[in-house]
Amino acid sequence: MAGYLTRRLGQIVFTILAMSVVIFGITQVLPGNVAYVIAGQFATPDQIAAIETRLGLNDPMWQQFLRWAGAALQGDLGTSMVMSRPVGPLVAEALGRSAQLAGVSFLLVALIGVVVGVVSGVRAGGWFDRVALVVTWLSVAMPQFFIAIVLVLLFSGHLGWLPATGYTPISGGVLNWLSHLILPVATLVVGLFAHVASLQRASMIETLGASYVRAARAKGLSERKVITRHALRNALIPTVTVLTLDLGILMGGIVVVETVFSYPGLGRLMITAVEQKDLPVLQASVLTVTVIYAFANLIADLCYLALDPRLRTGHAGVR
Amino acid sequence: MLASAELRARPRLPLPLVIGSSLLLAILMASLAAPFITAFDFDAMDVTARMKAPDAVHLLGTDEFGRDVLSRTLHGASTSIGLGVAATAFAFAIGVPLGLLGGYMRGRLDDAIMRTVDILVSIPPVMLGLLILASTSPGVWKAALAVGIIYIPILIRLSRSVALSLAQEEFILAARTRGEGLGWILFREILPNALPPLVVETSLRISFAILLGAVFSFLGLGTQPPSSDWGLMIAEARPYLEQAPWIALAPGVALCVTVISINLVGEGLRQFLDVRSQPGA
Amino acid sequence: MPGFFTVSRACLIVAALGGLIGSAAAADLKVALSTNLNTLDPATATFGEEYVYSGLVFSALMGTDADGKVYPDLAVSSQASADLKSWDFKLRPGVRFQHGKPLTSEDVVFTFRRILEPGTGSGARSDLGLVESVEAVDDMTVRFKLSVPYASFPELLTGRHMRILASDRADSIKTSPSGTGPFRFVKYTPGDSVELERNPDYYGADRIKLDKVVLRIIPEAASRVAALRAGDIDMIWNAPLETIPDLKRNPDVAVDARPSGTWDGFVLNNTKPPFNDVRVRRAVYLTLDKRALVQFALDGQGEPTHSPIAPTDPAFNKAIGFQPNIAEAKRLMAEAGHPNGFKLDITVPVGRPARERLGVVAQQLLRQIGIQVAVQRVPYNRYSTEIAGIAPMYVDGFFARTVIDAAVYPWFHSKGAWNGRMWRYSSPRMDAVLDEARRTPAVDKQRDLYRQYQQIMVDEVPGIIAYVSNVATAYRTSVKNYRTNPFLWLDLADVENVKAP
Repeated sequence: MAGYLTRRLGQIVFTILAMSVVIFGITQVLPGNVAYVIAGQFATPDQIAAIETRLGLNDPMWQQFLRWAGAALQGDLGTSMVMSRPVGPLVAEALGRSAQLAGVSFLLVALIGVVVGVVSGVRAGGWFDRVALVVTWLSVAMPQFFIAIVLVLLFSGHLGWLPATGYTPISGGVLNWLSHLILPVATLVVGLFAHVASLQRASMIETLGASYVRAARAKGLSERKVITRHALRNALIPTVTVLTLDLGILMGGIVVVETVFSYPGLGRLMITAVEQKDLPVLQASVLTVTVIYAFANLIADLCYLALDPRLRTGHAGVR
Repeated sequence: MLASAELRARPRLPLPLVIGSSLLLAILMASLAAPFITAFDFDAMDVTARMKAPDAVHLLGTDEFGRDVLSRTLHGASTSIGLGVAATAFAFAIGVPLGLLGGYMRGRLDDAIMRTVDILVSIPPVMLGLLILASTSPGVWKAALAVGIIYIPILIRLSRSVALSLAQEEFILAARTRGEGLGWILFREILPNALPPLVVETSLRISFAILLGAVFSFLGLGTQPPSSDWGLMIAEARPYLEQAPWIALAPGVALCVTVISINLVGEGLRQFLDVRSQPGA
Repeated sequence: MPGFFTVSRACLIVAALGGLIGSAAAADLKVALSTNLNTLDPATATFGEEYVYSGLVFSALMGTDADGKVYPDLAVSSQASADLKSWDFKLRPGVRFQHGKPLTSEDVVFTFRRILEPGTGSGARSDLGLVESVEAVDDMTVRFKLSVPYASFPELLTGRHMRILASDRADSIKTSPSGTGPFRFVKYTPGDSVELERNPDYYGADRIKLDKVVLRIIPEAASRVAALRAGDIDMIWNAPLETIPDLKRNPDVAVDARPSGTWDGFVLNNTKPPFNDVRVRRAVYLTLDKRALVQFALDGQGEPTHSPIAPTDPAFNKAIGFQPNIAEAKRLMAEAGHPNGFKLDITVPVGRPARERLGVVAQQLLRQIGIQVAVQRVPYNRYSTEIAGIAPMYVDGFFARTVIDAAVYPWFHSKGAWNGRMWRYSSPRMDAVLDEARRTPAVDKQRDLYRQYQQIMVDEVPGIIAYVSNVATAYRTSVKNYRTNPFLWLDLADVENVKAP
């Protein structure tokens, strides 16, 4: 187990290294020139040359990369080329805001997904199951940006109940903070809970048919006890595995949701950095997401391992 | 291995498969027959008929350029579905051979493939697409390619796991003792047995691919105007959702129905081919 | 499903309370902008959102009001030499920067020398190309020496980048800016907002009624509109024209749209085939029906024009019509050796809806003369390296300028700073007219020259200026005394925000 963990951690380190090289390479082929972003479309050649010299853009590629990597290893993520502010706090603040969004969404996805899945699994074929089925099918079939826009128009534009966009820190009042989170969170939850629910439903049905559950029933336990004491716990295990994976998917959904809701998080920062070719910001934000995603994957694999001991000797990549 | 006699013995096709494939067929037929259904070209503008509500002339109304929404929606089916199919086909063509190869051969080659896959899956899908698309100028085929690349690791893992479990089966060993070539074993012996889960997974991937393509269009990285790709149509209709909701509604509903019918086909195939659902796949 | 109901009930409660919280502070103004600010330094600002911010925190020597009239801002008077090549500006006494330093000529000299320094990367450097030197005559007087006589130099100093900076705060301009404008800088959260508060030391402070201004960054147009309707924000700066009919239907929202000199058009590359042939350029000009372009691209919120000179300008040439002529265009195409047309890419910028639509409509219209167009959407900040001066035909547009010369010379004179990066157009006839107009102080004669200039624009077609668009501000009816400024800066003097308790 320790060996496996060491290997996976080493793999993550390698992934991060590879990603940082890839991102650096991409910014080299990305069209556009950050100097023009800074000085505007009609900067004269001497202006561009002056900015390029100031930012060290004319040095050989490997030199630029080593300069960045050396500083990054010492904890200095550099300065945004376009915004001239330190990248560390910029990314940390954006990450903090995204984490609130992702955290709340994740909890709700888990909660709603499991509850809906368990209830429809227990009464498979009943009216709740059928309604839930239709809802999950619909929610999977609609693109997130469409859901988001419809929610904004309905709850903010039409009914005027909720703020359409933006973010307020929790220090500005819990209710105010919550009111800004509801719509983006709802969008993310609608897009993701179906996956969890359908899985939980399938696993619930399977567990309820298992021999030990039948045995428990035969002992004369009440149906409620059979479900809560025996079936539920086992039926939850595969869902937990998938939930960790969903955390990663959530990071992707955040890019879209933050755009529609003007939520100043990591996704927005990343898109801006790509557009502006702001290398230090792009590096830091993409690597942050990569690290989170890699660890979510690792945790998912560990859960899966714990679940299915047969796999411990083989490759954990089997999914 | 599924024998054809077994298939014939099954009483009837699963209902989801029937409903899904007939819906899908209807959509494709309507798209092909578009010139006979509407009198308007999908990109013909009319300055006098901008944002007209649905009526007898324009059955689904017109958009901000006075273009017929029905024609555009029908025309867009080929782009949107085409993008999904092309992306998935690309992922299939690259991912499945690599997965089968890795699972069958094991060892160094397998390790190399799987480590690359591990890196690819360490990048969130939307971000991977963003990086690919941002480094080139946008276009529909590039969007399909990006979506395809995102799905390669998934198909590699799936086909590899099947190959891994089949590699020690007797009929494979028999084929090897017969002296069959690597290509024969992979594609004639393993692939047919790996097909049921792959077919189910692939059909589901098409609907995800269509949705992801729509997301890229939304972010301005996919199809270009005046294309009537559904994702692009919805993205462009955003400012008019209140004034002229039909512009976004028509492609939205079409997208929804298409994705659902593809999902139904996938679900039906799963039942028909008796594939157990894979957790986390 | 008990969990679900709890959530939805919580939504209602939060929503109700959110409304109460929003209306508590009455003298705030929340304004939605569409793009993140890249810099807080006025000299290196490159787009409208940055100009809005810098206009609130800083002041310039001269200003422009909502009617387009130029007024003295930090300068109280100007004095030109007889040859119009030396200009003295007297500064307003008693003005202080927000960190306490009194305004002196030293600050003005610092500001302009900084703009003229290539390493600063200021967009105003080309506008100020005629400035030879800037010096302090005394504590309160600044002298500009020009290389050419220039009658409208004070108007030029209303430029968006020429906000006066404090000479002792050179290092902190980008992080904690200090200006002499109506509001002080409080905080900038990239991607989210810029917070400003009233500057009690502002020389016109008695006309500033707002305590706080928050510039909220909301890129999605649909979200901006929804936020305004929900009262989440009070104002949309530069409201998308296609949303105006919808906004006007809302009783709580007012829209102030007015004509401006902001133009969009098609840039043709005059040095490369097919557009190095004036007949092909003219054929395209005769095919693109500008009145249709206004309808499609702007929803009717604008006027067709021949050049950046707006139809509202007295110098506008009314003798030239807007009737397309397809037959003549086809003849010209055939004469130029393209009887069956050709294939062409038109580049449009992503995220600028009117300009995107312009490309899509052109694609339709040009089909009439056999030109098969593919529309390419490219992010605006790729324009400089890939598109500007390179692509055969692309859509671009620019804000109004306060002086006609500044609106046309850099674009169309063969030595113009921007011409070389756009049309690459060179015509002795054009150069002669523009040079002459620049030197001519007599208004009537100058107007006459600018009418000739417009005739050359349609004869030689360096590119096609499609229209000048209206600019609009949408705001809650609680906002009083607001007038949209055609130059798109946010003028908040006298503006109040009286929300019901």
